[in-house]
Amino acid sequence: MALLEVKNLDVRFAVRGGDLTALRGISFSLDKGERLGLVGESGAGKSVAAFSILNLIAQPGYIAGGQILFEGKDLAAMSERELRKIRGNRIAMIFQDPMMTLNPVLTIGTQMVEAILAHRNISKKEARAIALDRLQKVQIPSPEKRLDQYPHELSGGMRQRVIIAIALLLDPEIIIADEPTTALDVTIQAEIMDLLLNLCEQENVALMLITHDLGVVSQVTQRMLVMYSGRIIEQGPTREIINDAQHPYTQGLINALPQMGEPGERLFQIPGSMPSLKNVPKGCPFHPRCKFATEQCKQAMPEYVRSGNVNVACYEVANLIEQEKRMQEAES
Amino acid sequence: MTTATVSRWDRFRESFFWYSFKRDKVAIASFAVLLLMVLAAVFAPLLAPADPYDLAQINIMNSELPPVGMSGADPAFPLGTDAQGRDLLSTILYGTRVSLMIGFGAVILQAFLGILFGLLAGYLGGKVDAVLMRIADVQLSFSTLMVAIIVGAVFKASFGNLMFGEIAIYMLIFIIGVAEWPQIARTVRASVLAEKKKEYVDAAKVMGFGTRRIMFRHILPNTLSPIFVIATVQIANAIISEAALSFLGLGMPETQPSLGSLIKSGFDYIQSGSWWITLIPGLVLVVLVLVINLLGDWLRDVMNPRLYKG
Amino acid sequence: MLAFLVQRISQAFLVMFVISVIAFAIQDGLGDPLQEMVGMSVSEEEREAIREELGLNDPMVVQYLRFAGNALQGDLGNSYFYSKPTLEVIAEHLPATLELVIGASLIIVFLSVPIGVYAAIRPQAWLSKFFMGVSTVGISIPVFLTAIVLIQLFSIGVTVNWFPSDTGWGQWMNDFFTTEGGLPSYGRGDELTDLFGTWESGFFTGTGLMHLVLPSVSLASIMLPLFIRLIRAEMMEVLQSDYIRYARAKGLSAGRINFLHALKNTMLPVITVGGVQIGIMVAYTILTETVFQWPGVGLMFLEAITRSDIPLIVAYLMVVGLIFVVTNTLVDLIYGLVNPTVKLTGKKA
Repeated sequence: MALLEVKNLDVRFAVRGGDLTALRGISFSLDKGERLGLVGESGAGKSVAAFSILNLIAQPGYIAGGQILFEGKDLAAMSERELRKIRGNRIAMIFQDPMMTLNPVLTIGTQMVEAILAHRNISKKEARAIALDRLQKVQIPSPEKRLDQYPHELSGGMRQRVIIAIALLLDPEIIIADEPTTALDVTIQAEIMDLLLNLCEQENVALMLITHDLGVVSQVTQRMLVMYSGRIIEQGPTREIINDAQHPYTQGLINALPQMGEPGERLFQIPGSMPSLKNVPKGCPFHPRCKFATEQCKQAMPEYVRSGNVNVACYEVANLIEQEKRMQEAES
Repeated sequence: MTTATVSRWDRFRESFFWYSFKRDKVAIASFAVLLLMVLAAVFAPLLAPADPYDLAQINIMNSELPPVGMSGADPAFPLGTDAQGRDLLSTILYGTRVSLMIGFGAVILQAFLGILFGLLAGYLGGKVDAVLMRIADVQLSFSTLMVAIIVGAVFKASFGNLMFGEIAIYMLIFIIGVAEWPQIARTVRASVLAEKKKEYVDAAKVMGFGTRRIMFRHILPNTLSPIFVIATVQIANAIISEAALSFLGLGMPETQPSLGSLIKSGFDYIQSGSWWITLIPGLVLVVLVLVINLLGDWLRDVMNPRLYKG
Repeated sequence: MLAFLVQRISQAFLVMFVISVIAFAIQDGLGDPLQEMVGMSVSEEEREAIREELGLNDPMVVQYLRFAGNALQGDLGNSYFYSKPTLEVIAEHLPATLELVIGASLIIVFLSVPIGVYAAIRPQAWLSKFFMGVSTVGISIPVFLTAIVLIQLFSIGVTVNWFPSDTGWGQWMNDFFTTEGGLPSYGRGDELTDLFGTWESGFFTGTGLMHLVLPSVSLASIMLPLFIRLIRAEMMEVLQSDYIRYARAKGLSAGRINFLHALKNTMLPVITVGGVQIGIMVAYTILTETVFQWPGVGLMFLEAITRSDIPLIVAYLMVVGLIFVVTNTLVDLIYGLVNPTVKLTGKKA
């Protein structure tokens, strides 16, 4: 049984004039110790998906349907009280900007110790010792001093290390990291990412990495899923998708990565832009920008088809698979 | 038939301003009440059943009559009478008129001073800025009401009671205007500092425009929109300040009372049971200030579309 | 820390200097010591001689320095009316005002924080909307009017018979809105306790406290709406921030999140605003004391104005100025200590 299984998750935003759908039919799973990447453009719904696991979507968002099974129990149906036992404890989160995430008027020590004491019945001293241990794990110099310092006294990179340390305080099963390096200086992004990766490997913690950076995804994750307009359009082993993307959108994303090429060659861009929540087109959300679009694409969202180990939602891909099957049958 | 020229009235009707006003019932109701009160005050001489300051018309036998609805009331005096027999409805109409005049007058003065000093401080910077802002800070920390009381006390002591009473209305406009300029000056200064950095100022300088022209014709129009919001609330504050000053005896005299002085003179009679002499003017004052504040709130929301309610 | 203190204290001195100059100008412009000292029948020559003797013909600067010098030694002249040193008169009246302010402040603190926080956590609850509505109206009612209404309601009493008294519910409504009155509305009462000689306190006797009720509530009533709105607005903004969401993600309890994480951030700007309100509070005490004939420095000041008791007016301004300056400096200091992002040189991190 998978550690985390999301089935048909629907998330909506209640605004004046009707609800907007942010996520539709999201399904994926995460195994123990596995590293999964969530990729997509801004606004695709990756952050919403990440936050919905612990039911932390900002108002006016709400979970409209589906299940989020963690060790068999449905998180989407849990009360706030029960969820609180899981948050920070079995499933931890890392947010994007450490300066906004740490409370400016409380010391690092307070913010670490309280996270521990919320879930364990131990003394402050013992909690402090655990905090120190984790600070050492994330390689922060002079950890003793840090506990009594305030967030603004640390550099950006150090703050994010603290956040990672907090995530590891209670030895969680899963860490959900929402763009953990985007807000950091380019020079330390790699360092922090490496640190996170190593710690997850060491402690056998499952990692759900939300990012728009395909480079990071290809290096860190074992499986990935690509989101577009609130839907997963491609999902499977990272290696396979990066090497041979099936969905036109994914292909576009990979082509858009700057490569060593001929001087004077133009960078590739997927024409158009992702629709806003109010203007989601009928059928496959990508069809206005897709060069393979047909009438079928405008009618209904395609079902998932399997290509190798990858699940893709695309009529064109489905057709190609059909053709290949027929060709093979014809030959035999 | 007609060409496509759009009149100012049409543009107004299409604007966000009007649209938002139409939708906000509180704003409409407040505006209606305010309009009613202003009109009543302006036409007070025509509307009042009696002239309360014509000694010939007052009969002491009519004193302390309660408002209609209570026993002993006289329908000729719908809101009752005060201790001298003056009709309360009339005194309130005239009183509202005085309060409104002082309110608007004081705000015009403080806006003028505030804009002038704010522009100077913001644009010229340096010592001018430092001095002006220091004065503003001290005034603000004392609270404008305190400043008004002190200035009022000094004026009353120097001019003497009688003379002060005669020019009281101008005195009060002056006092409140002078006490409250820092608020507006600060806002204008902040806007000016922000605008100064923008490119059109450099463009104007390069074209050789003088300091004064840049300040008034280029920067000023861009700093005006927050002023409107503040000015509205300041009218309410000015009315309250004037009422407070009058209540303390530093404001309008009994011969030309504002709502504040009406409340003051009526207070003496509350213990004897004639509550209406003080409380009805009080109610009118509260309603007046309330609707202005509500309009000010709405104006602030309109000018600041980022704030969504709920 | 030291640099911060020095900076604030030197600023305080500067402001006091300005205040003293203004006070002196008022005294010089309006006051005529001769009026108190000699009668009408004294000849002009004798008046001149006395003036010369008192140094009233000396240059302005010299007179000011004399004034300032005396002030620093605690001599601010004698009150015309009381024929006593002004500072003595002020000292006698000050405790009454201070107790009034303490009473009002306690009410403000103990009501505004819970109500403001509640209105921020549950903005849709009808209780929240009720409080916010009352606050909006409250801001529009000047403090002296609230005082008068309170007197009418709780001192004089109000009998209501708008509702049909022959029906059960009607009479109940009548009774609900009818008030007995009875709370004292004049002065401080007869039983005051003596604290260390000069301070007559009303906090320790029954009648003393009863007399404190209406005035303190009136004084609090004008600041309460402001603080409630302020706390609610600040807290609502704070609750939207990332670090609050992160605190939830750590699994912290709602109580800890609201009352530690959120409240601490909320109170910082409230402290700043609160400090500024002290100035306004002094003005309001004048109004409140007038309504209740409360024998504090506010009433004393007003009476001094009516009597043209210039030395007392000037002394009051100096004392009030000093109180402002000291309180503002203290508030800044407290803010600097409480807010960790402010290094105490006065600059933000």
